[in-house]
Amino acid sequence: MPDLYGEAMRFLTALVLTWTTAAAGALATPGQPTDGHLGFQPAVTPIMERVTSFHNILLWIIIPITIFVMGLLLWVMIRYNRKANPQASKNSHNTLLEVVWTAVPVMILIVISVFSFPLLYFQDEIPEADFTIKATGYQWYWGYEYPDHEVPQYISTMVAEEDLSEGQLRNLSVDYPLVVPVDAVVRLQVTAADVIHNWAMPSFGTKMDAIPGRINEAWFQVTEEGTYYGQCSELCGIRHAFMPIEVHVVSQDTFDAWVEAGPGSDEANAVIAEYSAARETRLAQLD
Amino acid sequence: MSADAATHDDHTPSMWDWRRWVLSTNHKDIGTMYLVFAIFAGIIGGALSGLMRWELMEPGLQVFNNGFWGNEHNYNVATTMHGLIMIFFMVMPAMIGGFGNWFVPLMIGAPDMAFPRMNNISFWLLPFAFALAVMSMFVPGAGGDMGFGGGWVLYPPLSTSGHNGPAMDLLILSLHIAGVSSILGAINFITTIFNMRAPGMTIHKMPLFVWSVLVTVFLLLLSLPVLAGALTMLLTDRNFGTTFFDPMGGGDPVMYQHLFWFFGHPEVYILILPGFGIISHIVSTFSRKPIFGYLGMAYAMVAIGFIGFIVWAHHMYTVGMPVDLKAYFIAATMVIAVPTGIKIFSWIATMWGGSIEFRTPMMWAIGFIFLFTVGGVTGVVLANAGVDQSLHDTYYVVAHFHYVLSLGAVFAIFAGWYYWFEKIFGVKYNSILARLQFAFFFIGANVIFFPQHFLGLQGMPRRYVDYADGFALWNYVSTVGYMIMLVGMVLFFLVLIDAMIRRRKADANPWGEGATTLEWTLSSPPPFHQFNELPKIK
Amino acid sequence: MAGHAAKHDYHLVDPSPWPFVGSLGAFLLAVGAVGNMKGLVGADHPLAFMYGDGAFGGLILGFAVVLYTMIGWWGDVIKESRRGDHTPVVDLHLRYGMIMFIASEVMFFVAWFWIFFEYAIFHEVRTGWDGATLAADFQGLGTWPPVGVETFNPWHIPLMNTLILLLSGTTVTWAHHALQHGDRKGATLGLIFTVILGVCFTSLQVVEYMEAHFAFSIADGGNLYGSAFFMATGFHGAHVVIGTIFLAVCLFRLLAGQFTPEKHFGLEAAAWYWHFVDVVWLFLFAFVYVTFG
Ligand code: HEA
Ligand code: HEA
Ligand code: CUA
Ligand SMILES: [Cu+2]
Repeated sequence: MPDLYGEAMRFLTALVLTWTTAAAGALATPGQPTDGHLGFQPAVTPIMERVTSFHNILLWIIIPITIFVMGLLLWVMIRYNRKANPQASKNSHNTLLEVVWTAVPVMILIVISVFSFPLLYFQDEIPEADFTIKATGYQWYWGYEYPDHEVPQYISTMVAEEDLSEGQLRNLSVDYPLVVPVDAVVRLQVTAADVIHNWAMPSFGTKMDAIPGRINEAWFQVTEEGTYYGQCSELCGIRHAFMPIEVHVVSQDTFDAWVEAGPGSDEANAVIAEYSAARETRLAQLD
Repeated sequence: MSADAATHDDHTPSMWDWRRWVLSTNHKDIGTMYLVFAIFAGIIGGALSGLMRWELMEPGLQVFNNGFWGNEHNYNVATTMHGLIMIFFMVMPAMIGGFGNWFVPLMIGAPDMAFPRMNNISFWLLPFAFALAVMSMFVPGAGGDMGFGGGWVLYPPLSTSGHNGPAMDLLILSLHIAGVSSILGAINFITTIFNMRAPGMTIHKMPLFVWSVLVTVFLLLLSLPVLAGALTMLLTDRNFGTTFFDPMGGGDPVMYQHLFWFFGHPEVYILILPGFGIISHIVSTFSRKPIFGYLGMAYAMVAIGFIGFIVWAHHMYTVGMPVDLKAYFIAATMVIAVPTGIKIFSWIATMWGGSIEFRTPMMWAIGFIFLFTVGGVTGVVLANAGVDQSLHDTYYVVAHFHYVLSLGAVFAIFAGWYYWFEKIFGVKYNSILARLQFAFFFIGANVIFFPQHFLGLQGMPRRYVDYADGFALWNYVSTVGYMIMLVGMVLFFLVLIDAMIRRRKADANPWGEGATTLEWTLSSPPPFHQFNELPKIK
Repeated sequence: MAGHAAKHDYHLVDPSPWPFVGSLGAFLLAVGAVGNMKGLVGADHPLAFMYGDGAFGGLILGFAVVLYTMIGWWGDVIKESRRGDHTPVVDLHLRYGMIMFIASEVMFFVAWFWIFFEYAIFHEVRTGWDGATLAADFQGLGTWPPVGVETFNPWHIPLMNTLILLLSGTTVTWAHHALQHGDRKGATLGLIFTVILGVCFTSLQVVEYMEAHFAFSIADGGNLYGSAFFMATGFHGAHVVIGTIFLAVCLFRLLAGQFTPEKHFGLEAAAWYWHFVDVVWLFLFAFVYVTFG
């Protein structure tokens, strides 16, 4: 017999948590999912900032529409139930109404489009890029290559649960992460070697299919240093859930040192680790 | 024709005579078989979703850990089969095969379908197709693992080079056969509706459910053959060395996606349009008012069906399409909100000024209208490629389509079920239990799927057997919702058992003056062959 | 039980075993096909001759059951028709049914044309693709037809086949009109010609296939061109064969005196089907052979 009482309490706690986290939405950690959080992960690129604000506009449209429909339903249920209104009218036409509920949605959709299309083109038109990264999806890990820095492809694999070290995240951390300098405009080329994968990074607003035989392009410019996690987002077989993406956004100097040390090596990792540690102490002092 | 006279008149074969079912050429018997089949498939599809929710209840591997059933691959198999079974073997058979078969001839005043024998092969192909699908779960798929785990969309190369075993071939042929079944059914319905309307029933007097089935079967007729072509290409790529979707030979995996979604998007409207029809009847019956804006309602469905054919690539915003093409698909997709809005508002306008009685079907119908709206507006969010970039292949999409399917289509099915139960089976059901079922379904389904929006916004990808710890809470809530709904499922069967045991004789028309379509002029259940003399419509 | 006290002209069909048997046949055919392609049992299994890798037993069984169903089912339809069950309204049903069936067939060919056009028109897109992760000869596929593919000269056999099919379209119309005017001899002749022309088309198509300088599958050194070409023209060819059989059956029925000047929907359906096959060929000829050949 399952512990129903215990489960019920857990469930109630969860609900209470909803409200508190809803109120404290801003507390979400950048770059990774926060338990109980309601909205997007905090945006750290111009694209994601625009996505977030466009989505907020959409919320201002779809929530009122839903509430409006719900309100109408409640109203007819109260006002026109058999007790309140024993004799039904036989009315079944009202041209004005029909025109209104055709025209108003059209106008709402036009408003949505006005915000939607600029975002679409902003995402799609890649600005003058500082350099290019090429990501290749494999079953089941990523390969990264920096052609402009002559960094040959290195392999980035998830850290197994039993090998996690302090501060690493289950199902999210990798052995050799991707590293980019802060504020750099990066052109991302995505492809795959076996089946379709997808390079997705929620806090960047990047999601690009990695398709064998094709090269897809996206871009991002991360404006805040930190560590960001993403996951493969196209079903690619048994270990689809276990080929995450980890990006470290660092200062230009650190990035150069990392390139120098030879990405995909422990030395390069050490550069990043040192930088992160220094940054954490810095942040701790700030607080 | 009075209720009593009808029961004596014809030679209804015994229920226990197997020939009545296996050899059937009677639209009502075939409809009943479809309904029973849909319930059976719904149980299996629902059980698979239970395994998935159980697995996702907590981070880590609960079920697919080489313990209960297989490994992570089998999670993907469960997801894939859940999607396919629910769509092809539950919703479609219930709505088109079940309610369509039962009520299209009754509503247009026809004695049967145009091709009664072909009707029966439309049905019997399904259990065999289902058998192939189930077999596929237990033969090798990828590597040494059993079953096909590439998602219901069957994208290559994962479905070609990624799954070498016979599982995928069985599944392809299963869908071929299910497709043939639907195409034959579509031909049958179109012919029936065009040719067998009772004298005086012009196309603009046809009940809306008949309209909805008419539009639906046109979508089937025109979209399924394209899927059949795509599936055939998969089959030859797998077995005969073609390279339609294999870049090594110059093919393109994205091409499959175009072909699939050219079918797949009309398919989702195939799943919901008959539901629209059902809801129209129920809303009108229990408001005691004629449906508001009948013509607008009918042509809104035609519009939805038509536009449904030109929006398919909104499922493919992240494949790297040219940006102008994306812009076109955004615009076209959003346009569908307009005819759909017409339907929502017309239902409400039908209730407005009515004298509403909250009988069981009406509760499901009102639930449908609200929940479908929720699912519809998130569809409009997804239509915008800009945000879809963030939401594609996350649980936001899962939440969207379960609101329109598991809360939309399934609610419509239950609404229809309780609306026509007495007509079909000739016995009354316990409406208190049935309303209780509604309550548990309404609460449970919302608790399952609403939090999935949050998971999706946070970035949780679909088709994940295990997730990062930051997704734990909402997944847990979602699974609790499943348990609540499970109680609803149990109540559903209690209603059935109760009705079977008590056998209270049903009235010809349990709903009173609001029920105006022809099926209510017949006894419950109707005679084995109705309308020996065709009714005349004024 | 059919038409029991009915006061309408619809045809309430008697209970029939064919739907179930036919569905079983489809199932057996599918299992047989998978057995043949992938092997559902090991080589030393007692059922290896049925469902082992490469075995044809299961396929033949399934095909036999399907064939048996078709003969039985359509035989019943003919019997019912001769019994007078096909009243004018039922006849109209059959017409609608046939038109809808052809509509769905058209959509099936849409898939094959779509894939052909996609690769024929947008081949440049793929030149920019990532050759590095792919086979070396991939680059050749950036043109259409791909480098090294020697296509057919449309003005030889294909043109001849076009003329044959167009001619057969007229002979089948001749047969139909002759029948309508009670000229059974003309009808018979017209049908015989049509069937012969159909056989000629298929034979020429076989000759053409044997002369092809490109292969269907990669295994035989082929590539996408061959796949798209053979699937599109092959499915058309299969439809020609089916249409020819359909017409031949009509010929026999005509000789058996089953058609009258007033009632001969079987022949009309065959003619419609034949025209559909004809039109598909015109598209194939215009686009697959001429424009992109
Ligand atoms: C019954 C099935 C059904 C229905 C009816 C719909 C309806 C809609 N769907 Fe949905 N959809 C699915 C089933 C369905 N969908 C499925 C199964 C998938 C996932 C497939 C997969 O990948 O596995 C999917 C995925 C999906 C995507 C792809 C997401 C992705 O993968 O990234 C998109 C994007 O555009 C989309 C959009 C829409 C839209 C715009 C509608 C519209 O038709 C909705 C219209 C309705 C309303 C808008 C509400 C009522 C209207 C009003 C009250 C009027 C006023 C409103 C406004 C002005 C906004 N759907
Ligand atoms: C009609 C379609 C339908 C329905 C009803 C459901 C119902 C449910 N689905 Fe389904 N789901 C899909 C279609 C559907 N789903 C699809 C297409 C996918 C995508 C697959 C893929 O990714 O490839 C999916 C994926 C999917 C996922 C994502 C998995 C992943 O990405 O990893 C999850 C996770 O929670 C889930 C859960 C559920 C649950 C808990 C229900 C519960 O609501 C289930 C409870 C059971 C019922 C509501 C059925 C009751 C009905 C009957 C018994 C029949 C009654 C008949 C008559 C009365 C005649 N589903
Ligand atoms: Cu790689 Cu999913
Ligand atoms: Cu869609």
